[in-house]
Amino acid sequence: MNSILKYSGFFILLILLQLLVFNNIQFSGYVNPYVYVMLIIILPLSMPSWIVLIIAFLAGFIIDAFSGTMGVHTFATVMAGFVRPWIISLNMTHEAADPDTSPSVQNNGLRWFFLFAGMIVLVHHLSLFYVEVFSFTGFFRTLLRVLLSTLFTTFFIVFIDLIRSRR
Amino acid sequence: MRSLLNFLLRYKSLILFLMMEGVALFMLSSSHNYHQTVASNIARTISGGLTERVEKGRSYFMLKRINRELVSENLMLRQRLETLKKEPATSFTSISDTLRGLSYNYLDAKVVNNSINRQKNFITLNKGRRDGVINGMGVACSEGVLGIVVGVSQNFSVAMSLLNVDFRLSSSIAHNDYFGSLAWDGKNYRYAQLSEIPHHVIVTAGDTIVTSGFSAIFPPGIMVGTLTGDQRKGGDFVTLKVELSPDFKRLTNVYIIGGLHKDEIRILEEEVVNE
Repeated sequence: MNSILKYSGFFILLILLQLLVFNNIQFSGYVNPYVYVMLIIILPLSMPSWIVLIIAFLAGFIIDAFSGTMGVHTFATVMAGFVRPWIISLNMTHEAADPDTSPSVQNNGLRWFFLFAGMIVLVHHLSLFYVEVFSFTGFFRTLLRVLLSTLFTTFFIVFIDLIRSRR
Repeated sequence: MRSLLNFLLRYKSLILFLMMEGVALFMLSSSHNYHQTVASNIARTISGGLTERVEKGRSYFMLKRINRELVSENLMLRQRLETLKKEPATSFTSISDTLRGLSYNYLDAKVVNNSINRQKNFITLNKGRRDGVINGMGVACSEGVLGIVVGVSQNFSVAMSLLNVDFRLSSSIAHNDYFGSLAWDGKNYRYAQLSEIPHHVIVTAGDTIVTSGFSAIFPPGIMVGTLTGDQRKGGDFVTLKVELSPDFKRLTNVYIIGGLHKDEIRILEEEVVNE
């Protein structure tokens, strides 16, 4: 119960952070960090996939509604939520910790968390940027945007996670 | 029945996934009229109020620059007024119709939300239906054209920014009146492309690009930008690179421009074409 409350608070905080801070950040037109994807990353590994999907849908829908991009973020977050189980099984090695706690650098180690977060962010950004452009013209320019943004978003997520567990 | 239930239970994630992506794609495909949907209207009211507050704080720190811009614009308008005074009366009609000769009216507005980092950027303004804003009105600032209003709620309106890959604007080269279509290619927010200019037109870097006034959304002669000198030839026409004069990264005070004769012109043109 306590952890649900904690997560809800973090949910609101991260969405506000995205809308008020990160949506206004732009480096050179290629990097747009979307750190709210962290909401999908830090769900416990053992959580049933349908709950993950519903939370992903909600997060995407709220971001969409407030930034006026109907459907784009919803599509991307649901996609990220859907591939999460495969990414978990791909990354599942002997170093995996207790599946009922939320993934973090502290619980799972920096290397595991960075890879895990990076892969989910990559899936999210791939679908987000290509759906936003809605064509394959300028394919490689969009790809560059995806890769650079993925890198930045992942760094920000690891950073936020370190602050989160410090407390 | 039981096996169907089992099937549904077993693939519930997949079914949920497909359903949700369906909903997302539906929202995406109907996004051109999403401004009418209730959900986004409520969201706009909340986020509009929030961003307006943030903007209020931000604009306080820009007062110096805004003042400077207003003074320079006043100066320009004063000069224009002087030249108008000297012009003789050109029509014999009595002045009973005060709207005669008046083709555009202006409304001042403040930018409450703005983006430049997407492929489809929009600008949110703090004037809405209550202030007489309707779809299709133009948005400009003292430095030049910014966009066209595409969605209106009670107190706010959303304009499709010039920095939107769907945006088209009929613009012309100021000194020789050749006109073309201005669009943004989604790359750099400082530059747009003016296409459909014939080969034989002689242009030089620094030529001014202004609105042509053909669509009756903007009056003719509103600043758009200047030519950089880069051009791309293809087919019968050349495409020119235009450096946009407004800085989209710092917008505060803007004008909403309503063309009074827009509907009249459109209806007349449609009548003639349909005959």
